Amino acid sequence: MHPTENLAAYALGALEGPERINVETHVATCATCGSLVEQYRAVVSTLPMGLDPVAPPPEAWAAIRAEARRRRSPVREWAGTGVRPRWRRAMWPVLTTLVASLLVWNVVLQRELTRRAPGPAPGPEVEALSRRPGRLVILAGTGQPGASARLFVAVDGGGHLAISGLTPLPRARTYQLWFIRTGASSTVTGGTFRVDARGLAWAKVIVPASLDEVRAIAVTEEPATGSVSPTGQHLLESKTWQ
Amino acid sequence: MQVGDESALEVLYGRYGGLIFTLALRIVGDPELAREVLQDTFLRCWDGMDGYDPARGRVPGWLMGIARNRAIDLLRSRPHQARLREREPLVGLASESIQPDAADSIMLRRAVVSALRRLPIAQRQAIELAYYGGHTQVEIARELGEPLGTIKSRTRQAMELLRAVLWPLIEPRREA
Repeated sequence: MHPTENLAAYALGALEGPERINVETHVATCATCGSLVEQYRAVVSTLPMGLDPVAPPPEAWAAIRAEARRRRSPVREWAGTGVRPRWRRAMWPVLTTLVASLLVWNVVLQRELTRRAPGPAPGPEVEALSRRPGRLVILAGTGQPGASARLFVAVDGGGHLAISGLTPLPRARTYQLWFIRTGASSTVTGGTFRVDARGLAWAKVIVPASLDEVRAIAVTEEPATGSVSPTGQHLLESKTWQ
Repeated sequence: MQVGDESALEVLYGRYGGLIFTLALRIVGDPELAREVLQDTFLRCWDGMDGYDPARGRVPGWLMGIARNRAIDLLRSRPHQARLREREPLVGLASESIQPDAADSIMLRRAVVSALRRLPIAQRQAIELAYYGGHTQVEIARELGEPLGTIKSRTRQAMELLRAVLWPLIEPRREA
């Protein structure tokens, strides 16, 4: 059943909780509703044109340019030259090894979840998850060095995320998982989560029914209610999972 | 835009800075806070261009999304200011006289103004409270003392009317 009544509100960012997740999940697999949401979003982006235009202060651009120059880091400089730092080159054999570890991934998963999950030890649900076949995806801390995450996607669609190294956030902020897709379809969220004081979290996440079009998986920082689309920089990212 | 390309950032700012500042000012109601939103929006763009997905639409929509979320975030951290904003008139319709712009943008702006004028006040209120106020449907229903279903219907009807008028103008620009 199409969530027709909620699509407009969803495009406006005015849905929350289960309703928002229901629409997100539906839109991820329904081309008709996805197309309608895309059109609504395009319309929403024109709404500010209905306001009386106000010019920004003349000095605003100078301040932005100065701050942008200050933020230009060595990492950005190598991005422009095509030369990758040593640690990036070294990632490939590591990733290859990790993919091979899928053969024994149920053991790895059990150990990983037990080690990383904050709070009580994982119960029967996690044990059951660890016995299910699936896929292991590593997310590296591209925007937050030292952070990492492991996304366990079972073949029946269940997803669990184990995170470490992220900074605990104030109440008004949250972390949000994104599946970034190619083609005409939109980016969809896997859900929001917070980390504990040690920077750890274990969260159930929603995984799109089809991962074929997903070209990247990322984590961003967003307002506490979550966002309709990513607004923060990618703190964790995986582009090599396929 | 290439990562670290300052001239591209300047072009983006020249093209959309005014609109983003206008949007931010409408939401937060304070020029200093609006300037903070403006700066934050372009620096987020500078820091993480990866967040832009061409498949999701054009750059202005992406930038407006960043600015709106940042402004709503600021507004929520200042509840008193949020209450003041909600008492203000709902729509200030554009005079289109300040920013020089391309002909198709002027046409689109006229269409947006005209479409918003055609909305019944109750529908426009539902759209404005959601977009500029950052309220959920449940919050709007509570705020206006109306059933949730009524608010959903108004929102949908308003968006359908806007889509019918504006999408034919937006679509060719997206494909251009």
